[in-house]
Amino acid sequence: MLSESEWNEWLSGGKQTLFDESAGAFSSIFPEISAHNAMIHEIGDKAFEATFVSAPAPLNSGLGPIFNNVSCASCHIADGRGKPPGNSSEPLSAMLIRVSIPGVASNGGPLAVPGFGVQLQQRSINGVVKEADVIINYSEQTFTFPDGETYSLRTPTYQLANSYIPLPAGVMLSPRMAPPVFGLGLLEAVDESEIIKYADENDANGDGISGKPNYVWNVIKGTHTLGRFGWKANNPTVLQQTAGAYNEDMGITSYVFPEESSKGQAQYDNRNDDPEIPDSILRAVSFYVQTLAVPVRRSADDATVLQGKKLFNDAKCGSCHRPAMQTGVRVDFPEVSNQRIFPYTDLLLHDMGEGLADHRPDFDANGSEWRTAPLWGIGLTQKVNGHNFYLHDGRARSLQEAILWHGGEAETAKNAFKNMSKNDRLALIKFLQSL
Amino acid sequence: MQIRFILLSLASVLVLSSCKKDKSSSDDYSSTQILNDFSVNVAQATYNDLASKTEQLHQAITAFTQNQTQANLDNCKSLWRQCRQAWEQSEGFLFGPVATDDIDPRIDTWPVDFNSLDSVLNNQSVYDETYVNSLEDALKGFHPVEYLLWGVDGNKTIVQFTSRQLDYLEALAANLKSLTQQVASSWNTGNYHNEFANAGNGSQVFTTQHAAFMEMVSAMAGICEEVADGKMEDPLVSQNAMLEESPFAKNSIIDFTNNIKSVENVYLGKYITQGQSLERFVRANNLSLDGAIKTKISTAITALGNITVPFGEAIFTQQTQVINAQNAIRDLKNIIENDLANLVSQKIN
Repeated sequence: MLSESEWNEWLSGGKQTLFDESAGAFSSIFPEISAHNAMIHEIGDKAFEATFVSAPAPLNSGLGPIFNNVSCASCHIADGRGKPPGNSSEPLSAMLIRVSIPGVASNGGPLAVPGFGVQLQQRSINGVVKEADVIINYSEQTFTFPDGETYSLRTPTYQLANSYIPLPAGVMLSPRMAPPVFGLGLLEAVDESEIIKYADENDANGDGISGKPNYVWNVIKGTHTLGRFGWKANNPTVLQQTAGAYNEDMGITSYVFPEESSKGQAQYDNRNDDPEIPDSILRAVSFYVQTLAVPVRRSADDATVLQGKKLFNDAKCGSCHRPAMQTGVRVDFPEVSNQRIFPYTDLLLHDMGEGLADHRPDFDANGSEWRTAPLWGIGLTQKVNGHNFYLHDGRARSLQEAILWHGGEAETAKNAFKNMSKNDRLALIKFLQSL
Repeated sequence: MQIRFILLSLASVLVLSSCKKDKSSSDDYSSTQILNDFSVNVAQATYNDLASKTEQLHQAITAFTQNQTQANLDNCKSLWRQCRQAWEQSEGFLFGPVATDDIDPRIDTWPVDFNSLDSVLNNQSVYDETYVNSLEDALKGFHPVEYLLWGVDGNKTIVQFTSRQLDYLEALAANLKSLTQQVASSWNTGNYHNEFANAGNGSQVFTTQHAAFMEMVSAMAGICEEVADGKMEDPLVSQNAMLEESPFAKNSIIDFTNNIKSVENVYLGKYITQGQSLERFVRANNLSLDGAIKTKISTAITALGNITVPFGEAIFTQQTQVINAQNAIRDLKNIIENDLANLVSQKIN
């Protein structure tokens, strides 16, 4: 029989854990939610799936004029993880490219590319020119484990082609896959102090790990606050993340970002229809995302999984992929209040080495730093999304490849993995698949 | 599609007794056979029929583009409805490649992007496969074809078709055929049949048979929820006919009915031919539950049949009948996600 503390590890989302291992495992509402809030979740759910079309239209008007995709759900398929294009002729679907030029904007963030902004929109409504096409190339390299087995990693390179106006020199590109959107309300409810407690930017304790917080521009508060969402933790709240995605990814204005991303560009629509979604819809969508449950772990007491868990700890993966966190007391949002959750992230930035670097700073994150990605639910990726692509650009084609890309602060842990016997490596992967 | 319900966990529920009220006389079943037969007799059969119908639709539209007679137009419309029927009858199992390969949005997105459609019809582009693939979802699939065939008020005449519209219709029909063939292949000869049928026996996607059974159960409950709480609820509560999904052909009630038939098909393990199924499983363990499920299916279909005007009108003039149908569908969803799910969790590993 499991002890109290062991049992809780199954409940990755605390009381908001869902016992569902079907293809809808990321798409369910918090099990414990008030009737009123369930209704708001429903409204947000419908809006999340709404397909936008070009204005003027009687329904879902305002797509673009330049955009990446047409609905939240088209990138965050089944509220899960996007995959990169299958071959060079397949268009980007669940991936977007952030852009910037050297320098820093007045808010401390990336400096916009004149004529393009801080994000590329590679699609446009009919009659309007898109910003540019994206070309992805991969180069494959084979390596050997100390035990003699080989593995292969692919390195992507990104180029822009057919830009509607010439690109200036020095444009930095950073590809970003659509990450899963469940569990975010719980992550948002973790107190800042709880996160900062584990920051050690200068590695004062000499353990080789130097987690760093990313202070980013908070549009609502008009100041910098702790970022925790996005691949480089560049968004401080779910609301701002949602509004930013509406605006940049779909060209839909809201009260948070009331100006089209194309303003000042040739593609600007010059229409008097902003904001294109009502305030309450934006808030409902943000709330929908905040109240998506976390799937229960699978086979957490399997002998091999437990062996893998020990190896995970021995290799010190948990230094960044912190297994557990406590959400703060939230009287205003009792559904997320005071829960023990198991997201396997410290929500801090870490230098992941040259191999994974995008060389594009994002507020306090430098060109080699990435936020520790949450690992909860990762074992359901194949089931829910039908693929196994990981990391910020989907370059890793398996959990093993994702581990082998770890460098920088994670180099030691990666080497520990490489030095394991094949049996042990498989056990560690099986542990990850149980999350 | 979003599913809101709680499934009892295997680990935490200690089931001491199952409701063994009566058993059917032919009470043996094989969980492995049920999964295999679902794939062959429901998924493959439905998708193959859909692919074949879209092929016929393409031929009909090609004939219409060559000769715009009333008979040819009527044939296109009839085939559109037949394709639609097969598609809606596949929505009771909206999992697997149709979802993960992004096929559903390219076949069945709503609304139609009218501005962009006008723009496409007025441009000089050649409507080849590459061009159509580059278009947004709201410009292709069932509803743009529906709009072009019927017109916004449903009464478009044969002289109102421009040559660009005809070219575009033909290109969209080719695209629809291609997408439906793709999803059919993914179950016929692609990996997904193996993943599903070998659940718990080497499948990467379904590590237990229980997971595969629950995928079917979740999908059945999911489409009930989508119909009652989405497709019917949104236009009704907003009192807005613009939110109705097949308004041009006035096909919404038929769509909803086919969605419930899809639930029935999954339950019976039958599109044309019947194999081992959830029905057999339930009858072997709890005969009265089988009766209850069948009653709720038929009540839902009857209630939908009591809506006698197109849905866009019914939300104004037949609200009682609409609400009765929604409630009947919700009842069906409840018995699936509670009783049926519980029985599966008790009996299938």
